[in-house]
Amino acid sequence: MVTLASYLIVSAALLGIGVYGLSVKRNAIRILFAVEVIVNAANLNFAAFTRYMNPPQVSGQIIVFYSIAAAAMEAAVGLALILVAFRLNSTIDVRKLNKLKG
Amino acid sequence: MVSLVIPSDISFVVLTAVTIIGAIIALQAKELIYGAIALAISFIGIAGFFALLDAPYLAMLQIAIYVGAVVVLILFTIMLVRRERGEEMDKRTDAAEGSMGLWLAGLLALAISGVVALAGTSLPTQAPAASLPVSDLGPALTLQYPVPLIILALLLSAALLGALVLAKVER
Repeated sequence: MVTLASYLIVSAALLGIGVYGLSVKRNAIRILFAVEVIVNAANLNFAAFTRYMNPPQVSGQIIVFYSIAAAAMEAAVGLALILVAFRLNSTIDVRKLNKLKG
Repeated sequence: MVSLVIPSDISFVVLTAVTIIGAIIALQAKELIYGAIALAISFIGIAGFFALLDAPYLAMLQIAIYVGAVVVLILFTIMLVRRERGEEMDKRTDAAEGSMGLWLAGLLALAISGVVALAGTSLPTQAPAASLPVSDLGPALTLQYPVPLIILALLLSAALLGALVLAKVER
C-alpha cells in the first residue's frame, strides 16, 4: 500500500544520501551531484504533498516547476565556477581550494 | 483512459530501488563519468515518481531539463576538467571523515522518518480520486502566478550570462 508516508521516507533517504555526499566528498563536481540529489528529494516531497491534498491544488506542481528551473541555473553557474577554479588552480579538490583561508 | 497493467505498489518499489541505488552509485563510483550516468538514472527514477503521482508535466520537465540538459552539461564539464591519465581525481576519503558523514546522514534520515512515523495517523493515506488535469497548469502559471514567472525568466537569463562570462577565456 503506497501512502504519502512512503514518498516521504524515500525523500528522507535521498536527503540522507545527499548530505553524506555533501559532507564527505572532496571533488567539487561530486558535491554538485549531492546538491542535485537533495534538490530532487525536495521536489519529490512537493509533488507527493500536492497529490495527496484534497481538494487538488496546482501550487505544488508550480513550485516544482520553479525549483527545476532554478536547479538548472544553479548547475550552469556552479559548473562555470568549477571550470574557472580548475583553470586557476588546476585542481577541483575542495580541500585544496583554501586560498581564502586566513 | 488506458489503465496501467502494473500495479502502483510494484512500480513504487522498483522506482525506489532505481532512484536510491542510482544516487548512491552517483556519489560512490570511482569514475566521475559513471557517476554522472548513475545520476541520470536516478533522475529518471524521480521522473517515474512524478508520473506515479499523476504529474506527467513534471515528469516530462524532469527528463527534458535534468536528464537532457543538466547531466549533459555535467558530462561536458567532467571531460573539460579531466586530468591526464593515471592521476586520480577523487581521492578516497579517510575513514574518520567517512564515518562522521555516514552518522550525520543516517541520523538526519532517521529523524525525518521518525517525524513521519509520529505524524502517522494525521497524514492522508488515500490520494483523492480526481487528479489535477495538466491543462490547469498553464492558466495557473500565466494568470495566477505571472510575477514569479517573469522573475524566473530574468533570473534564467542572468544566470546564463553569468555562466558565459565566468567561463570565457581571456585572451
